Amino acid sequence: MTVLKEFLPKIWLLLAVFLVVSPAWAQGDAKSINPELLEKIRKSNAECFACHSEAGLKNPPLPGLDLAKLRETIRDDEVFKNSNHGKMECRQCHGQGYQAYPHAVGSKQLISPCEQCHAVQVMKAEMQFDNSVHAKNLKDKFTCSTCHDPHVALAAAKLGDPRKAAAQDNHMCLECHNSDLTFAKYAPADKKRPNIDKIHAWLPNTRLHWDAVRCVDCHTPVAKTLSHEIANKDKAERNCVTCHSTNTALATRLYRHVAKTEANTYGFANSALLNSIYVVGATRHPLLDWAMVGLVAATVAGVLGHGLVRIILAWRRNRSGR
Amino acid sequence: MSERIYLLPVWIRAWHWCNAVLILTLIVTGASLHFSDPNLPLLEFSRAASVHNVAGVALASLYGLFVVANIVSGNWWQYVPKPPGIGHRCMVQARYYAYGIFRGESHPYPPTREANFNALQALVYWFVMYILVPTVVATGLVFMNPEIAPERLFGLDGLLPVAVLHYLSGTIITLFVVAHIYLGTTGVTVTSLFKMMITGWHEH
Ligand code: HEC
Ligand code: HEC
Ligand code: HEC
Ligand code: HEC
Ligand code: HEC
Ligand code: HEC
Ligand code: HEC
Repeated sequence: MTVLKEFLPKIWLLLAVFLVVSPAWAQGDAKSINPELLEKIRKSNAECFACHSEAGLKNPPLPGLDLAKLRETIRDDEVFKNSNHGKMECRQCHGQGYQAYPHAVGSKQLISPCEQCHAVQVMKAEMQFDNSVHAKNLKDKFTCSTCHDPHVALAAAKLGDPRKAAAQDNHMCLECHNSDLTFAKYAPADKKRPNIDKIHAWLPNTRLHWDAVRCVDCHTPVAKTLSHEIANKDKAERNCVTCHSTNTALATRLYRHVAKTEANTYGFANSALLNSIYVVGATRHPLLDWAMVGLVAATVAGVLGHGLVRIILAWRRNRSGR
Repeated sequence: MSERIYLLPVWIRAWHWCNAVLILTLIVTGASLHFSDPNLPLLEFSRAASVHNVAGVALASLYGLFVVANIVSGNWWQYVPKPPGIGHRCMVQARYYAYGIFRGESHPYPPTREANFNALQALVYWFVMYILVPTVVATGLVFMNPEIAPERLFGLDGLLPVAVLHYLSGTIITLFVVAHIYLGTTGVTVTSLFKMMITGWHEH
């Protein structure tokens, strides 16, 4: 009961926010967007890209810009277009202070927080994050955009190719966990970065695994949608057969988005994997397996039968010979 | 008693038994990997994977040695079925296994120093040692280093045909091993051919 009491206000809040915010969702929805609106968005964003892009850096539209600072803020138009937020105006998040240049001081604090549009997800992710390894010492330093660059990230469900999803999602983690410099920016003072390949030396073909599975596939509990509860080594998955067997967890994790669409290519089990990977133990063909097991069984039965007949006949020969 | 000839030099016997141990290990670990099942593991997966890798590399090296030693010693000639009448001699040999052996007939083509193998044996051994084993070794090496495999093939992952070929050739070698061990009992006595593989002496 106490648990319910604790959660009830949160749930009401959630419902309220959801109702208020749902129009914001509709606005960015890829399917309902019309070409004129899209054109308007492109034009509006082009104003920002005039400066915040490679081209802008080479050919600044205004003299006297701080190019060194600008270099750190450039965004890629193409990447942005293909991201989760690609059909939005920059101004939807950078609403106040960025309309004109020079930008108003302190505008960074006014960038729309994720929960303005994603109340449900934020609440869910935050509750899970609070139990994750990063919550203990780094709670203040971690925000959603620490991992999800709102200008770049595309949800695994939309990426389609699981290898691309693996690359994107692992990049999030490796940005810190594969760089002493970035890691130190966040880590408690006395903490040294554990070498990511050494920690996982028990996993053969480590590099191969980094390309084909995600850190979160082993470091989060199984859930319907991805859980943000990143676990430390005690809870991390180290059982190979979780992935390397017919009942592979890959089908419910990294491959769950393609697993639905690709049913039964050439009769393989887990055929959704076939397009991008071969996984020993999981990529199996039932017919082929039956054929192979059958052949071996037939051979064994054949030699046993042959041997038995030899023994019987030899025994009879011996008896009649005597 | 029966007569004996010295047939097999030490290197062939040593090679044969190393080969045997490695191939049996690879069969067991390979089957355990392919048919991996959390409920009835033959061997723990990562143990099987590492043993399979080590044995696989050892077999690849041993195969290299075998090819070289075969060329140097001239032993490769034993594997070549020699005309005339290969087909006929194979038939006679097959008839022996299917019929004559049950009546206690003696081997139609007992080994000589010039020809260790009967025609059927030479053909089968040739196929195993020069087609199947190279296939399983080569696909195995690619499997260990998947970055060599083609990225994609026929719209599927490029490792798939490599893996399937590895699986098929591995299974056919398993069939060979079963039959080979059994045919080892068809000497003058049940154990005499095994003894030959240890001592090098063949009993007629
Ligand atoms: C005329 C060039 C120019 C235009 C147009 C421009 N910016 Fe900037 N922006 C800059 C420069 C230069 C900086 C580097 C820091 C500074 O000088 O304030 C910057 C910094 C930023 C920053 C980081 C600010 C901070 O507080 O750290 C954001 C966010 C930003 N711009 C967003 C936008 C958006 C959104 C638009 C379009 C609505 C836009 N900018 C249009 C030149 C421009
Ligand atoms: C979905 C919301 C959202 C949209 C849409 C968006 N941004 Fe941002 N942007 C953010 C957030 C949040 C940050 C702060 C990130 C951080 O804390 O590092 C940010 C930061 C920036 C920065 C500063 C980066 C830095 O290194 O300090 C620039 C420049 C920028 N955005 C440009 C753009 C441009 C140009 C567009 C349009 C093409 C755009 N943004 C669209 C949310 C958004
Ligand atoms: C101004 C509103 C707005 C803000 C602020 C915003 N987003 Fe979004 N976000 C959207 C819209 C609209 C979509 C597109 C939804 C769709 O296509 O179904 C989206 C999509 C996403 C998706 C993909 C969701 C999915 O399941 O497909 C993720 C992840 C995401 N946003 C994360 C973030 C993060 C992290 C932040 C904060 C840095 C943020 N968003 C800030 C409006 C916003
Ligand atoms: C430690 C890094 C990290 C942080 C911090 C983080 N996320 Fe994520 N998030 C991920 C990864 C990795 C994925 C998996 C990528 C995917 O499914 O697109 C993901 C997926 C998501 C998804 C898609 C879930 C699904 O199952 O499809 C949403 C929505 C999301 N995050 C929202 C958030 C919000 C909101 C925050 C801030 C409260 C946040 N994330 C903070 C790493 C992080
Ligand atoms: C912004 C940098 C950053 C990102 C991004 C990041 N981490 Fe971390 N991570 C850290 C730091 C710093 C620690 C050490 C925390 C501590 O000691 O309190 C840590 C700790 C961990 C630990 C516990 C290990 C330990 O040494 O205590 C795991 C497991 C982990 N991270 C996994 C991940 C995964 C998986 C992702 C991607 C979804 C990820 N991290 C993304 C910086 C990061
Ligand atoms: C196949 C599953 C698997 C994958 C994939 C995986 N990990 Fe791990 N990870 C583990 C296990 C199991 C441990 C515990 C190892 C140990 O006990 O020494 C671990 C340990 C760690 C640790 C140290 C944890 C601690 O508490 O000291 C960090 C940090 C970490 N992983 C980060 C990552 C990152 C980043 C990635 C993605 C590049 C990743 N892991 C991918 C299973 C995995
Ligand atoms: C989170 C899922 C996951 C776990 C856990 C996992 N693997 Fe893998 N493993 C994969 C995937 C996916 C591939 C396919 C990579 C490719 O083909 O690019 C792979 C590939 C391999 C390969 C190369 C052969 C092949 O199938 O392509 C070996 C060997 C291997 N894993 C061994 C192990 C061992 C041993 C363990 C346990 C210590 C383990 N794996 C745990 C997902 C996993």
